[in-house]
Amino acid sequence: MHDDDHLLIGRANGVTFRRENKTESYVVIPPAYIITDSDGATWTFGIEFNTHGEINVLRNDIDTGEFAQRIEYRRGVVRLYGKAGMRAFSRSRRHFI
Amino acid sequence: MAGTYSLTSAGITVVNAVVTLTFVNAPAAPNIDLCFRRFWVGQSATTPSTFNQRVQINTQVTAFPTLVSATPTKLAVADAASVITGNTTGAAGTSGINASAEGAGTKTVIWADAFNATNGWLLVLTPEEIIEQAAGASSGVGMHFPVATGASPNTLNWAFGCIWSEE
Repeated sequence: MHDDDHLLIGRANGVTFRRENKTESYVVIPPAYIITDSDGATWTFGIEFNTHGEINVLRNDIDTGEFAQRIEYRRGVVRLYGKAGMRAFSRSRRHFI
Repeated sequence: MAGTYSLTSAGITVVNAVVTLTFVNAPAAPNIDLCFRRFWVGQSATTPSTFNQRVQINTQVTAFPTLVSATPTKLAVADAASVITGNTTGAAGTSGINASAEGAGTKTVIWADAFNATNGWLLVLTPEEIIEQAAGASSGVGMHFPVATGASPNTLNWAFGCIWSEE
């Protein structure tokens, strides 16, 4: 399939993921493997754990510096759930709130 | 612990049938054990007609699947190479992917699940759930599709893998 057929292109674990639509609301990693947000960015877990058993969160294969137990996509916002509670990725794409 | 290793592949076209995606068989004893910590599968390019797919983690005794040889990658540069080497036979001490024949050996299902191909499937095992395969085991550990994906494009662009530590 040609790239022109896809609006959303991201990366996870070294693989380019192409999608025509963003992920539907309430999809959660795990058991899902990836979430595609409205920017086309691909979210998934890395392979590092912290002392709370949380896993590092990757956005397009770049470590966000955040650890979580679950990543959820709901109404256009990526939310991280972990020992510290819930954090949401800001609309500016710069912070977790 | 000797290290942590990944058997991963992407852009794979699978057959439209029952197919083993990854298969790892522990080496003969005495040697270190394999502790499987993570499995994942997803489709890197999808069409609007997304579909649901079943997946299973299993052990399989001989006869093993006929595979495409794939060598494990170490996750830490400082680690030694894996005791597992790539091979097509699924024999002890070897690994491979994307089977062309499933082999007659009985599969024992450890974990069964289903997923939407658009979202993929990730299994991160908690410490209590880690799947351990001792050196000298008579079976290998595989991840397979127990049912066919359906015709192309459902068979195209699969990315999958597993991670284990050698302890």
